[in-house]
Amino acid sequence: RRPRLHHVYLVVFQVGCQIADRVYDIPRTFPLALDLGGGKSHIAEHLTKDVVQRLVLTETSLQTLKVNRPSEIRTQQVLADEEFLPFQENSFDLVLSSLTLHWTNDLPGALKQIQQVLKPDGVFIGAMLGGDTLYELRCSLQLAETEREGGFSPHVSPFTSVTDLGQLLGQAGFSLLTVDIDEVKIHYPGIMEVMMDLQGMAESNCSWNRKSLLHRDTILAAAAVYKEMYGSDDGEVPASFQIFYMIGWKPHESQPKPLKRGSATVSLGDLSQIKNQDQS
Amino acid sequence: MSGSNVWSRSREKMRLFSELFAQCADEAAVYGKCVAATTTSKQELKKDLCAKEFQALKTCFTNAAKRRAK
Repeated sequence: RRPRLHHVYLVVFQVGCQIADRVYDIPRTFPLALDLGGGKSHIAEHLTKDVVQRLVLTETSLQTLKVNRPSEIRTQQVLADEEFLPFQENSFDLVLSSLTLHWTNDLPGALKQIQQVLKPDGVFIGAMLGGDTLYELRCSLQLAETEREGGFSPHVSPFTSVTDLGQLLGQAGFSLLTVDIDEVKIHYPGIMEVMMDLQGMAESNCSWNRKSLLHRDTILAAAAVYKEMYGSDDGEVPASFQIFYMIGWKPHESQPKPLKRGSATVSLGDLSQIKNQDQS
Repeated sequence: MSGSNVWSRSREKMRLFSELFAQCADEAAVYGKCVAATTTSKQELKKDLCAKEFQALKTCFTNAAKRRAK
């Protein structure tokens, strides 16, 4: 029995691939890596055993964990929750997480635990859905519900903003942070197709919840608003996915640090003179 | 999934929605514009602000459903 492939899987596959790219960007071999939510991350299939020698893969669902995933990397599967990692401190060289952290209830706690299980000079590479994800759906529903019912309740999960994320990573004890943002738009015939696509993935990835609380009139109204506000000339509507890629390092004395204030020996004001010296 | 069950029946209903909705594009645009206008003007969006436009859309939609059922 083959599951129906949802268009949002395009985002999942692409993000998994992008995380693998970022692993390759670091010129190191990682003896031991941890993939949180690795049952659905689609990262390991792009990695070779030259880059990651051993992999531990966690999932919160036993069913997902048991799926056979052929890989050249020696892999161990562990049933675990991101908020309660059953690993010792300072044990992993690399921690990966693709599109799972926005589901955790305690994001600061999960990030702190990731930092703890990393070895000094270990690195965390992750991807999360950002605040603008599905804004078209969120806004259409909000407006329709306000006009039809006089108020609205959230149907799209709240996502973290990039400033909050930077702050959370810093508070968790990561250094040398980078966060970069990518945007993907998937086009659908209408709001109903957007919701159908997300619904099937609710338990694994996306943001759609509490559909049962939507009245039929509100859906009709939202369909009209979505089309009017965001629809293109060919009649299709876009659904946006904003992805934050984050890289954070566990501090180690080998890492570059900013110099002490007052230790400068050259001034920026002398920049023009430095250039002249090179030319002579 | 094989056979007819809640999941495949509700998906069928959702597919039908798109088909019927497509027949009411004009009414949908009028309602949509009414609501969208509040996002750029000072007018606050309140309950039933676009009730007339919505009724036109709903009537069109219900009629399309009746025609299809025949």
